[in-house]
Amino acid sequence: MKLIKKESIPVSITNKPGAGKFLLALGLAGAMGAPVAIAGVTTKQIENDQASTGDVLHYGMGPRAQRFSPLTKINKKTVAKLVPAWAFSLGGEKQRGQESQPLVYDGKIFITGSYSRMWAVDEKTGAEIWQYDHRLPDGIMPCCDVVNRGAALYGDLVLFATLDAKIVALSQETGKVVWSQKVGDYKAGYSATAAPLIVKGMVVTGISGGEFGAVGKVEARDAKTGKLIWSRPTVEGHMGYLNGKENGISGTLNATWPGETWKYGGAATWLGGTYDPDVNLIFFGTGNPAPWNWHTRPGDNLFSASTVAINPETGKIVWHYQSTPNEAWDFDGVNELVPFDMKKNGKTIKAAAKADRNGFFYVLNRENGNLISANPFVSKVTWASGIDLKTGRPIETDNRPRNPADSDDGMKGEHVFAAPSFLGGKNWMPMAYSQSSKMFYVPSNEWGMDIWNEPITYKKGAAYMGAGFTISPLYDDHIGVLRAIDPTTGKIKWEHENPAPLWGGVLATAGNLVFTGNPEGYLMALDDSTGEVLWQFQTGSGIVSSPVTWESGGEQYVAVLSGWGGAVPLWGGDVAKYVKHLNQGGSLWVFKLSK
Amino acid sequence: MKALVAMLFLVVANVQSSERPGGLLTENAPIDDPLGSSAWNIMYNVHIPGARVVFDDRVIVMAPTSAENPMSVPVMVDASALSDVDKIILVADFNPISKILEFYPTRTLAKLGFRFKIQQATPVRALVHTSDGLWHMNGAWIDASGGGCTAPSMASGNADWASRVGQISGKNWLRGHNMSRLKFQINHPMDTGLADGIPAFYLEQLVIVDQDGAELGTIKPFEPISEDPVFTLDVHATGSMSLWGRDNNGNIFEAPLFPRS
Repeated sequence: MKLIKKESIPVSITNKPGAGKFLLALGLAGAMGAPVAIAGVTTKQIENDQASTGDVLHYGMGPRAQRFSPLTKINKKTVAKLVPAWAFSLGGEKQRGQESQPLVYDGKIFITGSYSRMWAVDEKTGAEIWQYDHRLPDGIMPCCDVVNRGAALYGDLVLFATLDAKIVALSQETGKVVWSQKVGDYKAGYSATAAPLIVKGMVVTGISGGEFGAVGKVEARDAKTGKLIWSRPTVEGHMGYLNGKENGISGTLNATWPGETWKYGGAATWLGGTYDPDVNLIFFGTGNPAPWNWHTRPGDNLFSASTVAINPETGKIVWHYQSTPNEAWDFDGVNELVPFDMKKNGKTIKAAAKADRNGFFYVLNRENGNLISANPFVSKVTWASGIDLKTGRPIETDNRPRNPADSDDGMKGEHVFAAPSFLGGKNWMPMAYSQSSKMFYVPSNEWGMDIWNEPITYKKGAAYMGAGFTISPLYDDHIGVLRAIDPTTGKIKWEHENPAPLWGGVLATAGNLVFTGNPEGYLMALDDSTGEVLWQFQTGSGIVSSPVTWESGGEQYVAVLSGWGGAVPLWGGDVAKYVKHLNQGGSLWVFKLSK
Repeated sequence: MKALVAMLFLVVANVQSSERPGGLLTENAPIDDPLGSSAWNIMYNVHIPGARVVFDDRVIVMAPTSAENPMSVPVMVDASALSDVDKIILVADFNPISKILEFYPTRTLAKLGFRFKIQQATPVRALVHTSDGLWHMNGAWIDASGGGCTAPSMASGNADWASRVGQISGKNWLRGHNMSRLKFQINHPMDTGLADGIPAFYLEQLVIVDQDGAELGTIKPFEPISEDPVFTLDVHATGSMSLWGRDNNGNIFEAPLFPRS
């Protein structure tokens, strides 16, 4: 045991790697509620999650995050008979945005909620089994509501990330904490809201905080113990680590960031990642470069506004694709890259798709990151006229906010109108890929913004933006549009418009249905070939979460969380008229077919 | 009415910690309570159900007759007159969470000083287990104005509380041959979860080890232990020692406890 050789020293709240050994040496590990996970969810089960219909073991309904289920009992013909089985209230006075995707395993449903809370609920009855309320410090700085997007399962543990930038692993049975690890300093603006990714026994997570100059990174820990295995920064110039040793800096120092600008470069990996066992690569999207004022950081600013592909064994970046070089509109590149096999001209391509915040739907070769196609998926994209398929770079339209140095007092650059807005053609809400229809179902929003740049310097824990903005809807009757996109052509097959902005995830099933919720509170089932709404149910508050489906005792279930919130009510500007009447809530709803 | 509500709380809180599911909590304990508490039968059935128990005045519970500060009531339990003590449980009959702590005096005297939060007038009761399987019980009544367990911690009113959590200060003093007195404090809110909007957040394991890393004693605090807890105990060891702690959020704390020079 290593002790600090000082009297009466303050000890910080960290789970020191030595502590576990110390416990075992004492022979007290069992008594201290830290048993080593041996049974339960395996890597093999997680990789097979999408095909296994009796459970939902992973965010995205599998590490590829296709959000597709082969179940067919609930289908176009039967969906009219879908009724609630039970509902569960998250309780408390903390009714904020509920963005969590439920997990289902061994008779329990695991959900996370606002303010870093988690529950295990009985799958059959909706009765609470346990609740964990993380004790949050007062100084947390989440930019965009106190949400959490879901948990992860491994062995007999259920893991989630907290707003004070920790990963906490709890016993699935009791809800007692088994281990806790700090992933960032919440006082410097780090936070964590994404569901962890499980890859080969490792828990792989990113970090939030791009608005505070936090430096993005992807980290892998032993899921059973929390021990750090590797860390990979997503800003050029920062050192990576593997098993406690230096593992090379990301990129080449100062190649795409001048001077010291890389030190607080943003590129937060705040939405988590996906993993494809076929090519053995982890895919993480990265956020905007910091600060927003792009004049301060001439260059491409790698690896911001990109997707990076990381080898899970080496912790090194194998390829990257940057969707918005020298990003200037808050077009985070965090959106999920969804691996799928694309049949085109008689060939099967190991492809992957991403609907980027910048308004383009990209199809990449997931083995090497080469661009296959890129097409707009929203009605108006002002900043680029297209993407050059040879270079992979956008063809820009001189739509960048102007330099504050050119203004009379140097304090505010000339503004521009740009679309999509900073909240993106698509934001965090995950799309689905149907293996039945071979279509992607993308929740998108139609809005633009006025944006301008201002001078800015870095200060720990303070917003690091250097930009101002106002958001406005593009149309007078809707903002949200759910779109069916054919990845082989980039063409939109159908659209379903929604008055309020869409902020929830999508689920596709072999029953030829697409499920999604809206802020107006409806969970909807749409015909996957026409977009016609075949069924809907009012859940009592807005839906900004991702539905799932599974089978138990011969019946197919659908579950979704209801609870309005997220970034829209906080940052929504003129969008308010579409959402200001929406009420808070916090419930888990479970549906099945009436008999 | 107030008493009824308190009783209800008591039963609910205690049922969760019952070690014998299905048992009738009001079933008569094998001995009458020398403290005359109406909750003795429940305490017995919750904390030591079915066990052999005797009243034993060799167990001494020293506490003030009236709590000056309901957030921090000093108590000293001393069962060192008994031999082969392997576990001590402290309970407060009328606290909404009755169990205060468990103490395992591996290589220490069966004697412990601590502070706890009191909700209303209650007996504080020591249940002392010896290796022959017998429980030895004694206790003392403490009068109180009330509210210690359901009030927010001082920390929760301080925006910077999180930066202090886990700071440990402590020392040990030589008290004779192979014997040291140890006193330490850990900064921790010890939130009970009963104050509105503040989740339960408390230390649940403290282990004292000697300089070779061998265990000297273990304390398992529960929610009623006072904020920034202070413990005093006598250990069969001398020289440098250290303290390892863990809370219910999985935070781990560790610090040396050096001899006073």
